[in-house]
Amino acid sequence: MTKIITIIALFVASLVSAQGQFEQGMGKALQTWKEGKPAEAVAQLERIASVEKTNWLPNYYIAFINTAQAFGEKDKAKMESLLRVAQKAQDVCNELAQDNPEVLVMQAMIHTAWIVYDPMTNGQKLSGDVMYILNKAYKIAPENPRVVFQKASFEIGMAQYFGQDTKPMCVQIEKAIELFATFKPETAFHPSWGLDRAQAELKKCK
Amino acid sequence: MKSILNLLIVLTSLISFGQTEIKGQIVDEQGLAVLGANVFIIGTYDGTTSDEKGNFSFKTTASGNQKLQISFLSYETIIYDFVVEKFQSKVFTIKESLNTLNAVEVTAGTFKAGDNSKATALKAMDIVTTAGSAGNIIAALETLPGTQTVGENGRLFVRGGEADETQTYVDGIRVGQPYGASANNVPTRGRFSPFLFSGITFSTGGYSAEFGDALSSVLLMNTIDEPIQNQTDISIMTVGVGLGKTNKWEKSSFTFNTSYINLAPYQKIVPQNLDWNKPFQSLSGESIFRYKFKSGILKVYGAFDYSTFDLNQKDINFEDKIRFDLQNNNFYFNTSYKGYLNDNLQLQTGFSYGYAQNKIGISADKVANNERTLHTKFKLRNSFSNRFKLSVGADLFHTNFDENFNVFGYGYQNNTIAFFSEAEILLSRKIAFNLGLRSSNASIVDEFTVEPRISFAYKVAENSQFSMAYGNFNQTARQDYLKFDSNLDYETTSHYILNYMYNKQGRMFRAETYYKDYNSLVKYNGTQAGFDSNYNNEGFGYAKGLDLFWRDSKTIKNLEYWVSYSFIDSKRDFRNYESQVTPSFVANHNFSLVTKYFVSDWRSQISATYSYNSGRSFDNPNVTEFMSEKTKSFNNLSLSWAYLVSQQKILFLSVTNLLGTENIFGYQYANTPDLNGQFQRQAITQPASRFIFVGFFWTISDNKKSNNLDNL
Repeated sequence: MTKIITIIALFVASLVSAQGQFEQGMGKALQTWKEGKPAEAVAQLERIASVEKTNWLPNYYIAFINTAQAFGEKDKAKMESLLRVAQKAQDVCNELAQDNPEVLVMQAMIHTAWIVYDPMTNGQKLSGDVMYILNKAYKIAPENPRVVFQKASFEIGMAQYFGQDTKPMCVQIEKAIELFATFKPETAFHPSWGLDRAQAELKKCK
Repeated sequence: MKSILNLLIVLTSLISFGQTEIKGQIVDEQGLAVLGANVFIIGTYDGTTSDEKGNFSFKTTASGNQKLQISFLSYETIIYDFVVEKFQSKVFTIKESLNTLNAVEVTAGTFKAGDNSKATALKAMDIVTTAGSAGNIIAALETLPGTQTVGENGRLFVRGGEADETQTYVDGIRVGQPYGASANNVPTRGRFSPFLFSGITFSTGGYSAEFGDALSSVLLMNTIDEPIQNQTDISIMTVGVGLGKTNKWEKSSFTFNTSYINLAPYQKIVPQNLDWNKPFQSLSGESIFRYKFKSGILKVYGAFDYSTFDLNQKDINFEDKIRFDLQNNNFYFNTSYKGYLNDNLQLQTGFSYGYAQNKIGISADKVANNERTLHTKFKLRNSFSNRFKLSVGADLFHTNFDENFNVFGYGYQNNTIAFFSEAEILLSRKIAFNLGLRSSNASIVDEFTVEPRISFAYKVAENSQFSMAYGNFNQTARQDYLKFDSNLDYETTSHYILNYMYNKQGRMFRAETYYKDYNSLVKYNGTQAGFDSNYNNEGFGYAKGLDLFWRDSKTIKNLEYWVSYSFIDSKRDFRNYESQVTPSFVANHNFSLVTKYFVSDWRSQISATYSYNSGRSFDNPNVTEFMSEKTKSFNNLSLSWAYLVSQQKILFLSVTNLLGTENIFGYQYANTPDLNGQFQRQAITQPASRFIFVGFFWTISDNKKSNNLDNL
């Protein structure tokens, strides 16, 4: 009897620990990132991605962290490397989670980073793609705050370039901020970022 | 109690038992420790990052055969197969990955447009926004060094070569008839609309073994893989109207463009130097279907073009003007597939068929000709690593040309088979080699050629590099000769090129010097190549020169400009020449300045292009020395203005040769002297002193933000 209990206990324990490993790993990786160690966080996420082959989240964060770093990178060669790593992870997400609005937003951000990298060459080439992707995301999830925010934020950039009115986009950003208040991520590890950025963008509107 | 104890024992044994320590060190190619590399066993959570000494150490419960992954940003990932129980501390060397920014690239003789590459001299939109190009790919390329502006012809002349020494390829497949039809001394334009292409590679020499049957140059154009969105494009122009439609689905897309051009209304308003009976009219269309497979893309492209005109041309030998009328039908079909058979092996294959039919009337004479060209290609490229790639392939070309001059008929057929192989070797991020060999057999010659192609690049500093190229090139004789005499041998040339390039964010400088050695050029006797001429391959010649290019988009905000200068010294004894002289299509000095300025407040892009070339030689029969005189220099200033009415509507205005400079391209001399013993002459000039173009372009799409600016 004790043997059976032991075996059952072991089995349950191993199940729980496998489940726990993902959560523990993700939690640790995101914590490491918050502590200002993006490279280490990416390393941990790569390990998680090598196990969780059907879960898009580790690769999503690899793409996200690298892209966020790329935006602040002055060394163009480093920026290119970061964006390439980001796109590689993004490719995996695109496969695993087709038409997922969060994944679409991420792809739009990588393209936007490429535009920042070389506006003269990539601006013409990619801005249409970015709008297409964000519109697609908006059709799928018009209530997702990141979708609404990213779309409005990119449109502000375009409107400023063409010297047009940015008021309608600012209204959208206000709406995004409202949506952030009610948005519930599916799990603790699903994307929930963006409120602070939206608030910062809204300040520029005024 | 016992059971809990049991459980604890089992659990702890499970944890401690079967834990193996994996440790080692990570160094770079110089043997220096790498900090922060990610080391882990694939499929487990077990791993770590290397410390400042490059050391790593972690414990794993995995056992048996496993894969250890070592990855680090901007380094090549290592995957190491091992057995956990037998693992011993190990030093891993990781290599820097070679990307477009840090690795050397062979750039001798190569200009690229659109592609993200070191050799990118033009951006995708440059083709259409260059003032004076009027959307003609060829005219935009003529602002690059190494080209000659031959105003009365309009084709691409490269480094002392004639226009047909350049071959054009779409998606790797040859285009039999790349130019539109035109009359003698009236310029033509490239047949392809720049809207369709995402990348253009223009080689002015020393190009890859993949291409052949071209003595001077290849122009490689790749169509867009995937359009952005569903859209409709409407254009209303002073010279005609156009309509385009793109539909995009999950895996495939279809684009259709059609245009009707009629120069009659324009020519009523703007006076012309030519006397038209029926101005140029054309109806053309092209469509492309693309289908994306999991790891490949299929493209099916078809284009047709019907054009017609009728004019009277002055000829110095006759009192009355000579009537010249032409009807041209052209059809081109191209299908290509490019895809990966596995992670490293790429297959590229395709087929093209071109059919051109001309019906020409010259006074009372009737000329009719038909040309059919076929090309099929098969190429495999294997990436053994990032640093070694090998391509092998084969081509089959077929040409069938027949012509009737009144009742006389003549023509020729040719089949060419070619094999090629090329190795691309990157020794380090500083040194790269390409070694290629091409061999082809044209049935009219029936002899295999041996054409080695070698190029080498060396990076001397972070932003500058040298490249060299050598190649041997063969081409079958021109159609103009083969139709009368199909026993002509290959014409041959060798290229020797040395290139220096400096490239730093927004600024690019290139200097290239070259030598070309021509042999077995076709010679004939008589005033022109006719059915009664005698032909041989005893011609020869050379070309040497220096090409300079500077592009800057950084120094002045919103201003992009480039400057090209070419010096060329070229002489040939070919055609019916008496001696080795500079041919009439070569000008020793060529200069272009192209500027583009974006004015945000006006929502406008204003561009200006200035081109200059020194005088071209011509033969004056009134003096004894052959081809000893030169025309005055050529000058052209063109302006264009693109105004964004709204994000989807663009108004475009351009004026070619704004100053109305009377350019003279050469002279036609009378065949016989007049009463005073002098040969009279007439100048070969521009069809009109200026060309003014106004167009309105409107894009209708699901997304209101896109416009036709790329297309201007």
